[in-house]
Amino acid sequence: MAAGRRKAKTMQYFEDIHPGSAREIGNHTFSEDAIIAFARQFDPQPFHIDPAAAKRSAFGGIIASGWHTAATVMRMIVDSAIEVEASLGSPGFDDLAWLKPVRPGDTIRARMTCIDKTPSRSRPGIGSARFLIEAFNQNDELVMRYTSIGIMRFRNPA
Amino acid sequence: MKYLEDFTVGQVFTYPPRTVSEDEIIAFAREYDPQPFHLDKEAAKQSLFGGLCASGWHTAGMMMRMLVDNMIGKYASMGSPGVDQLRWVKPVFPGDTLQLSGEVLEVRPSQSKPDRGVITSRYEMKNQKGETVLTMQAKGMYGRRPAQG
Repeated sequence: MAAGRRKAKTMQYFEDIHPGSAREIGNHTFSEDAIIAFARQFDPQPFHIDPAAAKRSAFGGIIASGWHTAATVMRMIVDSAIEVEASLGSPGFDDLAWLKPVRPGDTIRARMTCIDKTPSRSRPGIGSARFLIEAFNQNDELVMRYTSIGIMRFRNPA
Repeated sequence: MKYLEDFTVGQVFTYPPRTVSEDEIIAFAREYDPQPFHLDKEAAKQSLFGGLCASGWHTAGMMMRMLVDNMIGKYASMGSPGVDQLRWVKPVFPGDTLQLSGEVLEVRPSQSKPDRGVITSRYEMKNQKGETVLTMQAKGMYGRRPAQG
């Protein structure tokens, strides 16, 4: 996929994360070919891979696998918000909702808002933060949201 | 074809195991999650994971494929409203063999749309050592059995 130009990263180390702050993290246009290629590999349901069957489905046409949308937003997060020296991965996510279909030609942009952050009690120099991740289409309709959890290092461990 | 009515609370599904290769892990990460511990063996050795490991979204994608091939594909699937909770409990390493199991927690016909309903299921994926690598509680929407006529 087109990664786009790398942006200055402001959510890097634990100290750089500010609850309540929001930022746009990128955008991506979904082609029908890419939707079908992802779904063939990971989610081969007829409404993701077969235009004729998709037309007859409740969706009325091909739509992207929700996992494709989520993986694409992950790429935006990596490119714009994760500092590789600081990131220690993620234990998971909560409350993911696929609210509207993503269709070929749709341009999805995503926003990341810090909910809160907590220093680790057992491991000095490490903390976690929760982020609300929201993805919108070109009509500003919310198509996906979830709460992600990130683990990261402190820039200056005490 | 099976329908919403064919699910029962407490129903257990088991899925065939699947082994993941280093090439697959790197290919997925290049496209969707290019962090060093998913891409670069040497860098990954220095990381907390101790070695190259799969993007959690890749593991989730492999789980989805297991679900579609063995369960969802046999039912009148209408997509998914979402995932209540997903945890990446342990890293997935190249050569790991992943096996999924699932249990139906709730079957709920839609109040507003009589042609469909939603099931809530709990899933657990283990590696070849029997360690849990992923857990998920998620929803699936399914068509109801058409009236006989």
